[in-house]
Amino acid sequence: MKFMGNGKKKFDFPRKQLNESLDTLPEVPLNPDLNKNIDILKSAYKDCSDVVIREFLIAGSVNAVLLYIDGLSNTEEVDQHVLMPLFRMKDLDYNSILESTKKVISVSDLKEISFIPDVFKQISIGNPIILIERETKGISIGLPKWEKRSIMEPDAESVIRGPREGFIETLRVNTSLLRRKIRHPLLKMKQMDIGRYTETPIIVSYIEGIADNTLVEEVTSRLKRINIDGILESGYIEEMIIDHPLSPFAQVLTTERPDVAAACLLEGRVVIMIDGTPITLIAPCTFATLLQAPEDYYNQFYISTFIRWLRYVFFFIALLAPSAYVAILTFHQEMLPTTLLLTIAESREQIPFPALVEAFIMEITFEALREAGVRLPKQVGAAVSIVGALVIGQAATAAGLVSSPMVMVVAITGVASFLMPRYVTGISIRILRFPIMILSGMLGLLGVMLGITAIVAHMCTLKSFGVPYFNSIAPLKVHNLKDVLIRTPWWAMDTRPDLFSQGTSFLRRESSNQKPGQSKGGDGS
Amino acid sequence: MSSMIRSAKKTFTLILYLGFTSVFLTGCWDRAEVNDLALILATGIDKGKKNNIELSAQIYIPQPAQGGQQSGMSSGSGAGQSFVRSAEGETIADAMARLQEELTREIFWGQNEVLIIGEKLAKEGIRDQIDFWMRHSEPRIRADLFVSKGRSKTVLKAMPELEKDASKQLRKIVKTHIGVKVTVKDLAQMLSGESDAAVLPWVENLDPSMMDKKNAIPIINGTAIFKDGKMVGRLDDKETRGILWPRNEIKSGVITISFNNEKGYISLNLLRSHNELIPSIKNGNWRMHIKTNADLEVIQNSTKLNLFDPKVVKRAEQKIVQEIEDRERLAFSIIQKELNADIVGFADVFERKYPQIWKQKKDKWNEIFPQVAISFDTNVKIKRTGLATGKRKRGVEQ
Repeated sequence: MKFMGNGKKKFDFPRKQLNESLDTLPEVPLNPDLNKNIDILKSAYKDCSDVVIREFLIAGSVNAVLLYIDGLSNTEEVDQHVLMPLFRMKDLDYNSILESTKKVISVSDLKEISFIPDVFKQISIGNPIILIERETKGISIGLPKWEKRSIMEPDAESVIRGPREGFIETLRVNTSLLRRKIRHPLLKMKQMDIGRYTETPIIVSYIEGIADNTLVEEVTSRLKRINIDGILESGYIEEMIIDHPLSPFAQVLTTERPDVAAACLLEGRVVIMIDGTPITLIAPCTFATLLQAPEDYYNQFYISTFIRWLRYVFFFIALLAPSAYVAILTFHQEMLPTTLLLTIAESREQIPFPALVEAFIMEITFEALREAGVRLPKQVGAAVSIVGALVIGQAATAAGLVSSPMVMVVAITGVASFLMPRYVTGISIRILRFPIMILSGMLGLLGVMLGITAIVAHMCTLKSFGVPYFNSIAPLKVHNLKDVLIRTPWWAMDTRPDLFSQGTSFLRRESSNQKPGQSKGGDGS
Repeated sequence: MSSMIRSAKKTFTLILYLGFTSVFLTGCWDRAEVNDLALILATGIDKGKKNNIELSAQIYIPQPAQGGQQSGMSSGSGAGQSFVRSAEGETIADAMARLQEELTREIFWGQNEVLIIGEKLAKEGIRDQIDFWMRHSEPRIRADLFVSKGRSKTVLKAMPELEKDASKQLRKIVKTHIGVKVTVKDLAQMLSGESDAAVLPWVENLDPSMMDKKNAIPIINGTAIFKDGKMVGRLDDKETRGILWPRNEIKSGVITISFNNEKGYISLNLLRSHNELIPSIKNGNWRMHIKTNADLEVIQNSTKLNLFDPKVVKRAEQKIVQEIEDRERLAFSIIQKELNADIVGFADVFERKYPQIWKQKKDKWNEIFPQVAISFDTNVKIKRTGLATGKRKRGVEQ
């Protein structure tokens, strides 16, 4: 690749080379001849109707050009604080035009740029550029402005008690949301751009001193390894950085909530924010955290502990209920109480399919309905749920396709999978349910046990950024269990979760003797 | 060297794969849909022709709710019927095979919770029959056992009012602890115990004069006494209560007492009771001391006695002691003197306390048992006398 001078005024982007991003474009310096620069930019932005190139005179005498992408920059401000003062400039020092122009532009964020690729970068993030005749440096003006969604409560992670704000698609807003929660300068936000064409800004956020240094390095190096043409959602990043790419289990937490992200930062985790999506990634993640909801920490600890256990129980129900039903009904009929077996036998009498097939029909129908409900617009979604309720609940049993106990089992399984506080947890259960069902249909409860054994063995081998998936249970860390088996009240949660075995003294998060009481604190009354 | 390791690794992986697939090779040999099972709810065994065994099975008919609509609600009529079918064979297993020939579905013993032995067969001996229930893997050894008056089939065919069928009726009635509750496992233990005697609840159909329907309803009315695997006699309801005390099986009950010089009765509810057998052998005299502690509450008082008076309570307690001991004496007079069947399990108690003596005298137990002297020590406490006292008078005012 070569930049052609006078003859062919064309800026050739490199083709076919995977490792080329804007960063690695040839560092073509700005030409003192303004027209040449304009030609290069015009050829580069050929057929780009949204790019505005406005030529004008500074103080009525010096040629200059203003470049920006329509819709990304605040044109009103540009007119008022850039163009107007430059037009009205009187005493122009011709020896240092650049300096004197910078002095009259009343915008706080000004940067000098000296290479053509920088021009591309700056205007694509919304900073207008001014190039001046006879100057080898241009000015980038920090006046980006584009339409963004307002901050709303995330639908997927709503709470009854807790903040109502959620991340949005704009990275800067997201970082500000985090910074507003953690006001300490040790909250670091390292930025990098990933994606050859998308140039997506990604921020790795952590609290220095709390987050393990090697963890931060590991996350950064894994992110740097990514070479792809575009990042459109955090899912791209997630699949490119996890330890076990083929595992069905989530190895990175996702959240839309700044309070969750802030809590994770305070626990020594790393938050990865990606521009263009409200979903941020949190690493490392352990199995226990996948079953924790933000509200666990805001509600009273008794109810939090109870609900946490409810979740643990329903995790198994969501995973095993259909397979256990199939196994017992086709292999171990003697395990059921007589009356129950008689009722089931009665309802199954007219069913033409084996229990396994019946379970499969229902589970797949349920998954299909669920998926249909997600994809459809809200108005049609209601209709789907009515049809679904009829199909699953009434019509299927009336038509003699499935028995009503099976409808019960499927319904309970569905409810159980909705109980999972994080969407990613539910996904792995939904997938794993089917192989276990096949095993149970072939081998009965023995098959179910085989399935459980295989899953547990697999989960024990999992690691998320060096942290064992079952951290604090296997390997057992007793002081960690206060946020796993129970949720201790905040005055007793004196250490952060032990991710890297750093020792309790390092992990202290509050001073001792925090338990309140009548005689403590206050005016002593 | 490394190639050797690699080939060893390969072999190991191969063996692992083969081992893993062999798990699945067994296939679904054990698999059976509920639709293909003939669920047996209750079984009866009787003596058939020519020394044969007649096996009667109550089999469930899974009838779906009418028309398929409103499948959530089970329609009252017709749902959950059963039928009784019999087959004869040289053994129970043989009879079962014959029975299977007549059925479209595979016989499933896993839910059989009631086993009734006909009177005739019981008198001939049940040891061989129990073997099937203990040896076969499918039947439950926790099934409840009964001995029926006459043929067991008549009991199976009964249609009780409150419950769906005879099996449920019997299963529930035995749970009320009116009589003894014996499972197949208990019986096997009793038969292999030192005393070699056993009790089973005695089932007969309720007297038609006691109900308004013509259907037969099986109820428990006393116990059948077994000695050496054969039924030797029977205790009626009252006598059965007498052996429940020393067997420590009494769970509930109402005791009614009266005084010679008073009109009316006092009825008491049993709250809890505990029983202990204390054996002793002195100078060749075998003795059994039966210690009973019981708490009761008054539930009706039709006498004019004031139960807030400790003296009255004392008198009542003495009367109850007498009542309980009378019942026990009555029962023991039958099992010791008439039947010579140690169904309370004295033999085991003696063996535990005097293992050496027991070894010598073991064979003579049949002669010793009727001679065992029995003494009673019954402590009764009336814990609650109820609110009312006397006749229509508030107790507090007295």
